[in-house]
Amino acid sequence: MNIKKIKSDINNRVNKAEEILDIIYNRINDDNLNDYITLTKNHAYQSAENSQKRISKNADLSLIDGIPVSLKDNFSLINSRMTCGSRILEDYISPYNSTVAERIINKGGLIVGKTNLDEFAMGSSTETSYFGHSVNPIDASIVPGGSSGGSAVSVKAQHAALSVGSDTGGSVRQPAACCSVVGFKPSYGVVSRYGLTSFSSSLDTVGIMGNNVHDTNTLFDIIRGTDKYDSTVIDIEKKNMDNKIIGYIENIEGLCPNIAAIYRKKIEQLQSSDYKCIPIEIPYLMESIAIYQIISMCEASSNLARYDGIKYGLQTEEARSMFEIYSKVRGKGFGKEVKRRIMTGTYFLSYDNAKYYLMSLEMRKKLYTVMKGIFNSVSYIVIPTTMKLPFKIGERIDDPLKMHMSDSLTAFCNLANLPAISLPAGYSDNLPVGIQVIADSFNDINLMETAEYIEKIWGE
Amino acid sequence: MDKYIPTIGLEVHVQIKTVSKLFCRCSTQFGNEPNTSICPICMGMPGTMPSINSKAINLAVKAGLALNCTINNISGFARKNYFYPDLPKGYQITQFQYPIAEHGYIELDSGKKIRINRLHIEEDTGKLIHDQDENSLIDYNRSGVPLIEIVTEPDIDDENEAYEYLQKLRLIIRYCDVSDADMEKGQLRAEPNISVRKHKGDPLGQKTEIKNLNSFRAVQKGILYEINRQQNELEKGGSIEAETMLYNEKNQSVIPMRKKESAGDYRYFPEPDLPDLNIEDVYIEKIRAQIPELPEAKKKRLIKEYEIREQDAETIISSVQLADYYEAAMNNINDKQKATNFFTKELLALLHKENLKINELKFSEKQMNELLKIIEEGTINLNIASSVLSKMSQTGKNPGQIIKEEGLEKTDNESEIKVIVERVIMDNGEEHDRYKNGEKKLMGFFVGQVMKMSKGKADPQKVNKILKELL
Repeated sequence: MNIKKIKSDINNRVNKAEEILDIIYNRINDDNLNDYITLTKNHAYQSAENSQKRISKNADLSLIDGIPVSLKDNFSLINSRMTCGSRILEDYISPYNSTVAERIINKGGLIVGKTNLDEFAMGSSTETSYFGHSVNPIDASIVPGGSSGGSAVSVKAQHAALSVGSDTGGSVRQPAACCSVVGFKPSYGVVSRYGLTSFSSSLDTVGIMGNNVHDTNTLFDIIRGTDKYDSTVIDIEKKNMDNKIIGYIENIEGLCPNIAAIYRKKIEQLQSSDYKCIPIEIPYLMESIAIYQIISMCEASSNLARYDGIKYGLQTEEARSMFEIYSKVRGKGFGKEVKRRIMTGTYFLSYDNAKYYLMSLEMRKKLYTVMKGIFNSVSYIVIPTTMKLPFKIGERIDDPLKMHMSDSLTAFCNLANLPAISLPAGYSDNLPVGIQVIADSFNDINLMETAEYIEKIWGE
Repeated sequence: MDKYIPTIGLEVHVQIKTVSKLFCRCSTQFGNEPNTSICPICMGMPGTMPSINSKAINLAVKAGLALNCTINNISGFARKNYFYPDLPKGYQITQFQYPIAEHGYIELDSGKKIRINRLHIEEDTGKLIHDQDENSLIDYNRSGVPLIEIVTEPDIDDENEAYEYLQKLRLIIRYCDVSDADMEKGQLRAEPNISVRKHKGDPLGQKTEIKNLNSFRAVQKGILYEINRQQNELEKGGSIEAETMLYNEKNQSVIPMRKKESAGDYRYFPEPDLPDLNIEDVYIEKIRAQIPELPEAKKKRLIKEYEIREQDAETIISSVQLADYYEAAMNNINDKQKATNFFTKELLALLHKENLKINELKFSEKQMNELLKIIEEGTINLNIASSVLSKMSQTGKNPGQIIKEEGLEKTDNESEIKVIVERVIMDNGEEHDRYKNGEKKLMGFFVGQVMKMSKGKADPQKVNKILKELL
């Protein structure tokens, strides 16, 4: 279900925009994949009616006019519930639109619903969601990945043509790999985060999932660019650069042999087309996961302080003191993984322990410099999205360290502020594999062009 | 008990004069209905982000320059993390490691400089209100209102220096139009840090902080109380705890409120949602050029230019509007001290009596200038001038017109005075007899009666002369 197909269906009067929504909502209901926490039917049908009128008059607002899009449930959509996959926000209604939602709506996109996620985007499987995990349409026994697992499932299961997710350490790319769809994480500071519920503010990015690079890029063009509500965003342009040198890592420590085999084959395919592939090393790759965890947990401990039972969200009637309100609401409202990260983050910001936080910031700078150096000699880096094939439901949920390792090939991009796109790279033992194409900071437009080209090479 | 040497530092929060809040476009208007000047951003709703109000940066730089600070070309924001219901995000956005301005000072009248360690920008919190039924309510109108915090070095020796520092600080802030700095509206809040030690060479003692001081007098009293409390405690062999003390207005004492937090408790870290502030020298110089003549400089100039007493100059500079008014009113006046006396005595008394600000007067500085000139010419005496002033305040009419309408010109026409004197003697036959019988002190009574009848216009010397002749 891609943009081209939907548009041609509407244009050839196979289906009206509203009818496409009927089909989608029926599918969602029948498939029962738990990819949506909330369906926003009123909003979607209202928009569809308007889209249909425009399309009939050939007055489309944009390429996504009339196209169904799903939104991860940590993005605000005005007057709609936003749970962030947490009990603490189970009944929270957002009073405003995220910039991303606003731009999609203004260009005629139809927001189908709010997709399931690991609680506050903390996890790699959607298993930490208060609303239960989403089901991978490829194989119900494996995880759909996370934290944007609901988004990946919605695209794969044709419950939406495109989805907006968030990627703090791999949360768009890893589920895209698990569900065999395209998942793109732009450079930090290219898409406005306004209205995206903060997890780790210096690492959070707004990501996109789609059936192909072209669709993904179409949505990217619509949502990116400066925003008066997010002062960390800049406008980017296409760069004049050598697009043909690709760096790859010959031996990735800990990479599962099935993925290694596919990876080798994909590099060979690039070499036999017009790319020059040279082996590189990424220093601190293994350390990056520790750096990532300390920074993200510290920031999370601060970002999640606002859920205190005072202004909105879960409340308690029984408390006799201020402290009791906090401990009761937060004790009940947050799940295990979120509590674990808040406590770890609080620890790493307090007194002497802050030295580890400061060390992590130093290391992050070093990694950034190192990556800049690498991009002096290569145009892109191609590496697998995950170390392992998608794991089984329940396999890692009680082993947080193993779960955290799911980000080991993705988090360094967030730390070094690199745009990266995970492309479906086939299957091994009937399990999907994803491979990332990574570019230097703010080379997002070049990256998308190249990814579309590589997608074609790998698809042949 | 003067065995102990106090050491005092001051942290002052000033609400700066922006139309909208620091990180959103909500109004900063004081006194709105609770929770009407709020939006998702200043309420800390999930997903919202701050974006800086550039007017706040402008005012902070202005204040920094006026307080002799260095403006940092690069500064940044940080999060101060703590839980409290009036803090919607669970952290306050402030500046920590990289404040916008540093290393300033204010000079006291003694010539002593109170050094300013730093000046930084931060957001205000909401306000907790406890109602009669012991419910706690929260008003978030103040949440996100921009503040600057000005922190001194521990250079202040006693409560009087603290008082003087605060007065000078407030005046500078007002001169620059950075804030109205009205303590009653919470636009200026002072929190002293106090410690005592036995000898000058000793390391500084454990400090405590006093909050809830709602006037400069309260600052003085609170400091004095706390110095004495610490001394007594140490004399008893006790020790001083790192505490935050609460000032109690009723009995002018302080009581411990809570254990004082240290920076480590607040888990400061750089605010990722805001880029660093990059302030270029060109911008700084542009703002420097906007800073008006500051109170101390103005005082010195007025003393020199108008040859007036320091005390009068001090009074005149107490507000920039008053000083401007004064200078305009003094145009082409020769006997400047005499005119200044009238100005500081009569005009200020009038303002005080009518509870008016200088810009609320019905008459202009030009009309005041006219009155001062009339006084200088000797057309009316000072008593008359005072009543002309009060008529001006009631009607807004020109002094010349009032004098003409009411016939108030001083009269030295002897025949006119003579008529009045004769009338007075006639009306007061009994007193006249007593005078003639030797009760000479009744002279004053007769002068008074004549002046009264002439409505003060008669020249007193001539009145005396004629009275002596006729009595």
